[in-house]
Order: sequence, then structure tokens, then C-alpha cells
Amino acid sequence: MSEQVADAPQDSPRPDDHEAGAGRDPLSMLFQPGAWRLERRLHTRPVYELYATLIALAITAVIIGLLVIIVGVSPLDAFASLYEGAFGNRESALETLVQATPLILTGLCAAIAFRAGVWNIGGQGQFIAGAIGTWWVYDTMPGLPAPVLFVAMFAGAAVFGAVWATVASVLLVRYGTNEILTTVMLNFVIDSGLSWLLSGPWQANDTPYSQTERMVESTFLPRFFDDSRLHLGFALALVMVAVVHFLVRRTTLGFELRAIGVNKQAASYKGVSVGAAIIAVMAISGALAGLAGAGELLGLHHRINFEFGGQAVGFTGIIVALVARLHPAGVIVVAVAFAGLINGATQMQVGTGIPAALVDVIEGVALVLVLLAAVACRYRLRKIAHHHG
Amino acid sequence: MEDFFTYSVILGIFVATFKIATPLLIAATGELVAESSGILNLSLEGTMTLGAFTGFLVANETGNLWLGLVGAAVGGGALGLLMAVMTATVKVNQIVAGLALNILGLGGAFFWYRSVYEEGGAVAFPTVDRFQTATVPLLSDIPAVGEVFFDQHWLTYFGVLMVPATFIFLNRTKYGLELRSIGHNPEACDMRGVGIISRQYTAVIYGGVMAGLGGAYLSLAGGNQFFDDIVAGRGWIALAIVIFGNWRASWILGGSLLFGFLEATQLSLQASGVDLPYQLLLALPFILTIVALVLNRSRSQVPLALTIPYHRGER
Repeated sequence: MSEQVADAPQDSPRPDDHEAGAGRDPLSMLFQPGAWRLERRLHTRPVYELYATLIALAITAVIIGLLVIIVGVSPLDAFASLYEGAFGNRESALETLVQATPLILTGLCAAIAFRAGVWNIGGQGQFIAGAIGTWWVYDTMPGLPAPVLFVAMFAGAAVFGAVWATVASVLLVRYGTNEILTTVMLNFVIDSGLSWLLSGPWQANDTPYSQTERMVESTFLPRFFDDSRLHLGFALALVMVAVVHFLVRRTTLGFELRAIGVNKQAASYKGVSVGAAIIAVMAISGALAGLAGAGELLGLHHRINFEFGGQAVGFTGIIVALVARLHPAGVIVVAVAFAGLINGATQMQVGTGIPAALVDVIEGVALVLVLLAAVACRYRLRKIAHHHG
Repeated sequence: MEDFFTYSVILGIFVATFKIATPLLIAATGELVAESSGILNLSLEGTMTLGAFTGFLVANETGNLWLGLVGAAVGGGALGLLMAVMTATVKVNQIVAGLALNILGLGGAFFWYRSVYEEGGAVAFPTVDRFQTATVPLLSDIPAVGEVFFDQHWLTYFGVLMVPATFIFLNRTKYGLELRSIGHNPEACDMRGVGIISRQYTAVIYGGVMAGLGGAYLSLAGGNQFFDDIVAGRGWIALAIVIFGNWRASWILGGSLLFGFLEATQLSLQASGVDLPYQLLLALPFILTIVALVLNRSRSQVPLALTIPYHRGER
């Protein structure tokens, strides 16, 4: 507060300052020492963060436009075909929501862990663990009646995802092993594990391919419309957003995880059991990614095959969470936008010849700029008193 | 199993140990310098991939492998520069910045590769005439020892030499010691007038260049083409080796060689048709990396200010 008081007189520049500056080139004023000063804001209003994110995304569009020009395509054509493929008509818009479904869940997975300052990079592995858990329940409990089976399969997915994440959190809490590295390593481990399951114990009898049998139709998630693949998993993902929002904002665990995210030591002085909170948040985080795996399996693919993990939704979820600034509701918006990019990129490649991998660049550039913008909006450029001569 | 323990197989494992360790050594010694300045660069995987690509691109376009190495250094260094801007100047959270640049490096390499080499939706998989091993005269004629130590790629000799070089730089030169003191106590260095930001830029860009060169080993010496999954987790393993090695150059050599040895053994077990699911062997390096991190929990040499951004006049 004292800083604000001390600065207060300078806030209203004297009239002669205005006159002195009037005839000058604004750029040279900017670089003249003492004329302008970059200073930290005492309070950043949340809405600034939103503006900063939007500006960052606009700059991303400009940079990508330039890149598209370099490749030799008109950026207007590229963006038009990207948009057409993403939201151009009912069919593609619904398909975008289909693609957004797992990204919402893996985005939440990253967001809740990052909120707590626990760097779960293992969403991809936990997503696969979820699919494995779903199949395991399906495979071992065939006699269950339909509603119970659905609950059991989703529970299996959540538990498997949570367990795979807990491997890393236990090592972190017990031995201080860097969770970034362990979660990344666990992604590779479960890739191999899945490959073993698909070519061994779970391999379908009738094919030479590494894949499971196709699930029976009674286990398919219901779809909303006859002409779209949009399934109940999308609604589940939205419900989980509300659940996570409630959890973070309205529960003791939510308070604890935000507290350890800000300062672990201070939180522990305040009586938060940091280890227990880390274990809990990682389990929830892993369970969310696991649910994404169940949704994809029961809603879309109905069998696990080699390409199941190839969509890399776990990694994209990290970008979704960070661009959304870890806000659960923001995760929906960003997940739908990124799903639109992924969906539209296929059409763009067919229409304009630009490789669909442009999406990877867009994601990377957008993330870098959003991060820079988030820091930038904590500062302001202010004109300060001028020294003549 | 008996034919596994033959002279040629065991010799082959030792030769391969150095080949597999090379990209890890180059990337990990570079990361050690970056981390010594207090900046954790998590983007090694993406940086190595970008370096593997830019190296391949330049080598393929010019027909000169050495220019390819320059291209890899520039590609890796550019990403390192971006990392330095984000962390040393703007002071974005280092973990988040590293993850972001990791994605940018991977995405950039994937997109660039396709926009150059993709025709009508299919990639032609071009190849380069890769580096041959550089045989040291006379010494390479020593039985066994010659083949393991004196008939390797230039980049392998370079990677091994970087270990003592990095040790001497960080422990015996003024600049290196200043770098390490920045990583431990930036406030004190700032008061002594040691420029923090310029040194962090140097260290992080150097780390990026080395990661790029490590990636180029994979596309120009170990193999002769680029593909999306070329780095296959080695960037993350290099990061783990720095931690496992307790931020000491000599232990990084040990860690890289240990990893190379286990991986080489695994590969030759696989080739000898031993009765184990090959997926277990594929997962082994990653499982062992976790085990190694758990077993070697010594953190005595960690730069104390690692990942903590330095703001002048703030605590």
C-alpha cells in the first residue's frame, strides 16, 4: 500500500509535461529513459487476463497467417477452410464437440494438478490406463446388468487412471522424486504395457492385428443425434467441469490444493497435510484422464487398438489447461477451439495442401504467447514525470 | 542363451553403449550448464527433435553433413534463445515455459518436415549419406579396446570430451563459477555486479545448441533420416540423467553410459530372440530411469535457485 501512496502524486502529470510531450514522436518518448516506466500492477483484475489471452490469440493468428504465406497459400483460404471444417455446418460442428470431449477431461486433469503445483504430465498415460480399466471391467464382469456395468466400467477407468497417477505421487511424497519425469516415464511404460496386452492376452482371435475384440453393442454410450457421433461422454465431460469447479472453489480439499499450489511450506504451517493433498489431487487428476479413456472407448471406438493412444489427447490436454489459465470453465472453451482446429485441419490439408501438423504449431505458438501475455498483464506502462534539459 | 555370451555379442554391446549414450551425453552436459545458471529447461525433447530435423534439412539440402550440424545447432539454439527470453527476461514459470517450448519444438519439426517433404499427403522419407565412424589410426587396431573406444562417430568423441570440458568450465573458470553462483544465489551475484540475465541467456542458448546437436546425432550419424518419433523420450531421459547425476559432470558420464549399456543389452537380448515379451524390454529404460531417480536421491549439488525467477529488489 505504501508504494501506491508514494506514487500517487505522479499519477496526474503536470500540465507542462503534456506540452513537452505533445510535439514529440511517441516512439522516441518510449525509449527515452525516464519518460515511461514499466511497473508491476498491485492488483491485476481477472478481466485483464482475459483481454491479454485474446490479444495473444490474435497475434497467434497473425504469426500463423505469415507461416501459411511462406508455405505458399493464401492465409484467408487456409483459415476459411480451417473454419469450414471445424464449425462450417452442423455436421462438422458436432464432430468438433466429439473431438473436444476427451480434451475437456484431459484438460481438467492437467488444470487441477497444476493448480496444486503438482506437474502431472502423465495425462496421456492415465488416459490409456482408463481405457485399460474399462476393458478390464468389461472383460472380467460380463454378467452385470447394463446400468451397473456402465457404472462399473467408468469406475474402473477412474480407478485405473488414478492408480497410474498415484505411482508418481507416492514417489513424489515418499522420496521426492520429480513428478514431471516420473509421469513422463510412466506414459512410455504404459504404451508398452498396452502394446503387450493387445498382442497377447487381449488380442482378438479373428485378426492378425494388435487389437481387442469389438465390444458388444449394449455397452455403446447413447448418442444424441442420429446423424452425429456425439455421445453421452460429452455431457459427462461437462458435468465433470462443474464437479471440478465446485471441488476447487467450495471444498476443503479445494482450498488445500490451491494453498499448496501457492506455497507448500506456508500451507503446511497452516495445518494442511501437503503429502495427503498431493496424493488426493493426483488421484483425482488421473481419474479425470481415465474417464476420458472410458468415454473414447465406449462412445467412439468400441475396441482398443494400436492407434488408440495416437490421438495424444493427454498431451493436448496440458496445452488446453495452460491456455485456459487453469480455469475449469475456460477448459471447455479452449478444448472446443482446439478440437475445431484438429477437426478443421484435415479439411484444410485436403483443400489447400497445408500439412495438418500446422495444428501442432498453432498450439505451441498460442501457448507461448498466452504465457507471455499473462505476465505482461501484470505490468503497466506508465508515463512518469519528465525532467527537462 | 549360451550363444548370447559370445565375444562378438558382448563386444557389440560395449560398442553400442557409447553410440546410445552419445545424444544423452551431449544434451545432458548442455542441460547441466543451463541448470547451473538456475534455469530448468524442460524442452529438451522438443529441442532435440527440432535439432534432428533442422540438421537433417540442412544436410539434405546442401549435401554437407557438417553444415547439417550447424543447422542443428542453430535450430536448437533458437529454441534455447526463446526459452531464455521467456524465463530470464519475462520470468514465466520455468516449468510451464519448458513444456510450451517442448510442444513448439515438436510441432515445428513435424510441420516443417511435412511442408518440405510431403507430396500429395505422403512423405517420401528422404535419407542422407550419414556420418561414418571416425577411426583413430593405430589405436583402433588394439583388439576390443580399439573397436569400443577408437572406432566411433566424431559426435561420440565430442560427447565424451564434453564431460571433462563441462567440469573444467563449471568448476575451474571464472565464467563457469559465476554461472554456478547465479544458480545458487542470484541476489549475492547481483550485488557483486555479476550480470545475471546475460549469463543465463548464454547458458540456456548453449543448452539448446547442445540439445540440437544431440538430436542431430540421431538423424545424421546414428541414423540417416528424420521421423516424428526419432528422439523417442531421450530428451526426458537426458533431463533425468542430470538429476540422477546430482548436477555433476562425471556422474552424468556414468549415468549416460549406464543407460547406454542397459539399452544395448536390451537390444541385443531382443535380437538373440530371448523369450521375453519385447514390450517389457521397450519399457525397461523408462522403468529403470524411475528406479534410478528413486535410488539416487542425493540432491546436495542442486542449484539452490533452480526454477526460482530472480526479480531485482524482491524477495
